[in-house]
Amino acid sequence: MKILLQARGASLQALFFVVISVAMMVVDHRFHHLEVVRTNISLALSPLRYIVSLPATGGNWLNDWFTSHTELLEENAALRAEGRILNARLQKLEILAEENARLRSLLGSARKIADDVIVAELLSVDQNPYRQLIEINKGSSDGVEIGFAVIDDFGVMGQVIHVNPQSATTILISDPEHAIPVQFVRSGTRSVAFGRGSTTQLELRYLPATADIKIDDDLVTSGLGGRFPPDYPVAKVTAIEEDRVRGFVTVLAEPKARLDSSREVLVIKPRQ
Amino acid sequence: MSKLRYLVIYLSLVVALVLMILPLPDWVQIYRPNWVALVLIYWSMALPKRVGLWFAFFTGIILDTSQGTLLGQHTLALVIIIFVNMNFYQRIRVLALAQQAMYVFALLLVNQVVVAWVEGVMGRPTPLLAFFGAPFIGMLIWPWVFVILRDARRKALLS
Repeated sequence: MKILLQARGASLQALFFVVISVAMMVVDHRFHHLEVVRTNISLALSPLRYIVSLPATGGNWLNDWFTSHTELLEENAALRAEGRILNARLQKLEILAEENARLRSLLGSARKIADDVIVAELLSVDQNPYRQLIEINKGSSDGVEIGFAVIDDFGVMGQVIHVNPQSATTILISDPEHAIPVQFVRSGTRSVAFGRGSTTQLELRYLPATADIKIDDDLVTSGLGGRFPPDYPVAKVTAIEEDRVRGFVTVLAEPKARLDSSREVLVIKPRQ
Repeated sequence: MSKLRYLVIYLSLVVALVLMILPLPDWVQIYRPNWVALVLIYWSMALPKRVGLWFAFFTGIILDTSQGTLLGQHTLALVIIIFVNMNFYQRIRVLALAQQAMYVFALLLVNQVVVAWVEGVMGRPTPLLAFFGAPFIGMLIWPWVFVILRDARRKALLS
């Protein structure tokens, strides 16, 4: 009898937890009330993330340590040369920027050229095979907020979807749930690039068959929607698939950013 | 003092959690066994009075947070398999390791069904290989998990 009662108690308890879990999932999916829980647990887990990132960091450190003297000298020389070239280009750029600003002020547009950025480093990558998320080491205490765009030196990587005090979760543009408004540089056609769960492919659906698109066309952010600042490189067209029956074109593009290998990233504060 | 001995349970779960968030190359990623589920199954078999549904519930929430899944997704899965285990552990405990491993495979598969079902509802179907691969690897790993945790438990004087 007692065993029976115990068994019934356990069943009730299990049912209770099942109901709670399902309720939590619904609340988490639809609303944002559980962000607080998530943030606090995430914070408590941050030492674990740190431990996990140790082997990679340690490896890098050892690698740096054992880089031979001559290699360093060579690299130094190369960097100096590159620095000179970049400086020369920069002078030109400054002049261009000034000219651009002057022209813009003539046109009466108030767009700023430079954006405020926060430099961040990667903490951990994509713990879930179905999603494309990365964790960066700057959080709300550094001024990072939800919706900020994240880029690396080659292009747009994604946007911040969750912020902790010392870290932030970034959804990559290749996540199946992510879409980014883009524009073809050459033709000016606007579209939206969807992630496909692979770091090497974005998909632009339902473009008109008459659109002027070629392989190797560059895609930049269009700035529509207000999330991503305009004119940052996003991807390059790699394939064009025609659907003759329905008269649409699906374009596949390869992200410019190194979604799977960049360690240093920039978080862009949107302009006021 | 006696509380201190249970530290080994928490410690093993922390290790399992670290193994879950350890970055792996993409092609290995989908075969990553659910370490947390394995460790939890062991403890609920060895110390059913101590490690039950409450344990599964809180472990699940922590796992959900660290995996970035919906809060409740792994929780639901873990609660269900631990509940199943609570009804079977007495019969399973006495089996040989290989037979236990098959039982564990079934539990991990149930776990996978729940997680994949929620993913599916949200429009992210799980690839077939990942669906069966991870529980299969979990099954192969079970004997080692069992032996390691049993030794740890004996060292910590838990019975």
